Amino acid sequence: MPHFTIPILADSGRNTPKEPPTDTFHLSDPPYQGQLPTDLSTYRRSASTGDTAIIIDNGSFSIRAGWQTEATPRLQFPPLMARYTDRKLNRKLMFIGSEIYFDGTARGQAKSIYEPGSNIVNNWDVQEGVLDYVWLKLGIDGQQGGVDRPVVMTEPLANTTYTRKVMSEILYELYNVPAVAYGVDSLFSYNYNGGTTGLVISSAHTSTHLIPVVDKQPLLSHATRLDWGRAQCVEFLTRLLKVKYPGLITSSKVTDTQIEDLVRNHCYVSQDYREETLRMLEWAGLEDRDQLVQLPFQEKEIIQKTEEELKMAEERRREGGRRLQEQAAKMRLDKLIKKEQETEYLKDVLIRVQEAPTKKAARELLDEEEFKDEAALDRKIKEMEKTIRKQRNKDVGDLEEESKEVPAYPLLSTPDDELDEDGIRAKKAQRLLKANHDARARAKAEKEAEKERQAEVQRQDDAYRERDFESWVNDRRAERQTVVQRIRDRDRLKADLGNRKSQASQMRMKHIANLASDNPNGKKRRRGNADDDGFGADDADWGIYREIQAGRNDDDEEDEEEDLGAQLKGLETLLLRFDPQFTEQSTQEAQRDWTKSLYHAFARGPYAFDQESAKESAQFHLNVERIRVPEVIFQPSIAGVDQAGLVELVESIMMERLSGHAQRDAMLKDVFVTGGYAMFQGFEERLVTELRAVLPLEAAVKVRRARIPVLDAWRGAAGWAGTEESRGKFVSRGEWMEKGGEYLREHNLGNVFT
Amino acid sequence: MAPITSASNEETHAALLNQLDMQSIPKPFRNPNWKPPQRRNKNLKQILSEASRAQQSIINTQQNSGATTPAVGDGTTGPASLNPNPAQGSQDLSRLVLDKNNTNLQATQLAPPTAVTGGGLGAPSVTYTSIQAPPSLKPKQKYCDITGLPSKYTDPKTGLQYYNAEIYQIVRGLGTAQVQEFLAIRGANTVLK
Repeated sequence: MPHFTIPILADSGRNTPKEPPTDTFHLSDPPYQGQLPTDLSTYRRSASTGDTAIIIDNGSFSIRAGWQTEATPRLQFPPLMARYTDRKLNRKLMFIGSEIYFDGTARGQAKSIYEPGSNIVNNWDVQEGVLDYVWLKLGIDGQQGGVDRPVVMTEPLANTTYTRKVMSEILYELYNVPAVAYGVDSLFSYNYNGGTTGLVISSAHTSTHLIPVVDKQPLLSHATRLDWGRAQCVEFLTRLLKVKYPGLITSSKVTDTQIEDLVRNHCYVSQDYREETLRMLEWAGLEDRDQLVQLPFQEKEIIQKTEEELKMAEERRREGGRRLQEQAAKMRLDKLIKKEQETEYLKDVLIRVQEAPTKKAARELLDEEEFKDEAALDRKIKEMEKTIRKQRNKDVGDLEEESKEVPAYPLLSTPDDELDEDGIRAKKAQRLLKANHDARARAKAEKEAEKERQAEVQRQDDAYRERDFESWVNDRRAERQTVVQRIRDRDRLKADLGNRKSQASQMRMKHIANLASDNPNGKKRRRGNADDDGFGADDADWGIYREIQAGRNDDDEEDEEEDLGAQLKGLETLLLRFDPQFTEQSTQEAQRDWTKSLYHAFARGPYAFDQESAKESAQFHLNVERIRVPEVIFQPSIAGVDQAGLVELVESIMMERLSGHAQRDAMLKDVFVTGGYAMFQGFEERLVTELRAVLPLEAAVKVRRARIPVLDAWRGAAGWAGTEESRGKFVSRGEWMEKGGEYLREHNLGNVFT
Repeated sequence: MAPITSASNEETHAALLNQLDMQSIPKPFRNPNWKPPQRRNKNLKQILSEASRAQQSIINTQQNSGATTPAVGDGTTGPASLNPNPAQGSQDLSRLVLDKNNTNLQATQLAPPTAVTGGGLGAPSVTYTSIQAPPSLKPKQKYCDITGLPSKYTDPKTGLQYYNAEIYQIVRGLGTAQVQEFLAIRGANTVLK
């Protein structure tokens, strides 16, 4: 029984999140196959005739090599070589093919024969290394000087002369091969599969070739090449994943070979691309279509503090606090004592002044202390006593509370002329004090009144609700709508301000220009306003600076008077409590539900996603990519390749270029598919469907696949080398020396001379 | 040296290294007197440009010299008549007669090549560049750049295609670098040179 984490609500629009998938995929290990064995037997056996050819399928995905007498190529390895000097061992190292994967450094130093995306040989040092490897593994001992067996090699369609020249040079000069023949791999494969008239579609690692063949003769002038193959698929998928999961797919974490395995294991050709993509991200059945790949990850360490540790930390904190408090208290006490001493001293002075024999002496004493006269001294003493008392109360608490008497302001009632200077000053002081006191009392009273008012409103609201439930609910709902609307407006305004051409932005510019200009009120000056336009007198004017501030962020909103978010929440809780129809679903929260989000289904599948979890952050989901990647061969514009798709190319060859050809219909009856791309599930069916759509009704289209698409080229070449007539097509070393480096003997399974 | 298989340790790894190393194995089948020419690693662009230049010069030579009688219609002479040695071809491409050659060349190329082998005056009919597939003539189907579903809408600011309003919100929130990454997948990014 599947276990749902959230209860299913009958009327809910929310989709049920699925439980985590049972089969997650992992990235593959590097394809290290171990050391390929050396076998000397065939070499020894064929020593008598010296005629057994070595067949080499020089492919961009893998080199396949072996003797012509064998059923399958003995050696199959990628065309890579790693040659470097190891620092620790201080010697030169060289590794070929899949053996480089045993070591990380070697893998980093690996170079390929071909440049990425091309099927023309680029790096000849690697080619030499690969050939060395082939000869060694096939047991060539070189006793006769060089390789002493003829060689058949495959080359791409319309291979460049330069490439063939350098290859021949290597074979003849460096390895002393007695005879060499070249051929096109797809034609070998077609021949092997018994084809005579047909259209060969060879979709391989770096390119796709279409070659019409009539009576075993290829019409190379009508052949065409589409630059898309499995290597480009790998690059495409890497790019797609990089944008879908930023930061996750870096070249250090995920290598090319791993992505290649992903393409091989997860991608297939869709039969109806448009329909299938539209239905791909639908919730129902998404867990079947979506495939989860888990990258290696590291669990974040949450340091679990034990109970003891927590308690100790608490204690320490409290200790610290207490210590600080004690220090503060001590300081205050010291100050208090000092103040008391001072008051004592001043009291002393007062007594002395009062007891002073002459006014002059009193004056002198006062001057010493810098007091104006006795009254000032008196006042000072009283002040200090008051503060001391207050402090004592607070800190030590040993004096009793002074009763809060209503302070009397006796002098306020006496008119001014009855008082002397001092009296007037005293009166002013008293007035001030009274004003303060009154203000405080007023504030308190207001607060009370406010609370009263709130309570009153609440009571009214409740009464309203009890009285007339329906309309109350409707009122609340209407309120909620307006708040939602205002939130949306606010967001839209913010977005508008970002866009340079919007109305809001232009108004803002107008305001700024107005403020900055010398004639803010236009060309005509208002009457009576000579220079001063009165900006700033009215408080509302300053609001303009708020308006033109473009970079308003959310902090502003929070200290504004209307906090729309909080309002909304409040209203929703009310509604939730009382309104029977307002459920969890209708709240603003639920509307941003991830189960309804298309993007979530795309990036995270039908499963909940936890941001914090390291495991989930290191996962990626393949759903649309599974069909998007192989689809490019039918629609190259998906990946930005500016060429026609496969079906369009067939159409153009068959319907336009060869429309009058006698054998055209015969060709359509044998559409032969070979090459690694044909291994995608659904490739042939899709081809049949699409071809039937574009080709005339009477043309019976039949599509067939090579028996083993990746090996048939080699097997075809091996088979061809065994025939009598093929030997006539080999170019011997002597001939080559005589006729020049670019000499080529044409045959029906090879290129033509250009 | 980083051992990558968890099963191996330092010793076995070193042993494996020695076993797999090709450098130390003698290769008697190699000719010790032959040295490879310098700078033979050429990438595709270089090879093709050199080939086309050689082509042009050959055409020039053929047109200007009296070596071969200009064949009318299909070339019947075999490939041997075309001297592929570019050293003999004229190097001066700026001659006025180049225009004439070019027009001739185009005329022969436009006519459907009936012979499998190129011959005579015309350019060879099958070269690496000539068999490259032409651009598509059918209207392109548009797909959403973010999700890959068929899209009906384009964002005017960035040029990205999107599937629905929800994806549009995401498109709006993308930074410039991300937008360029999405467009690069389609080949529609701006490249500053």
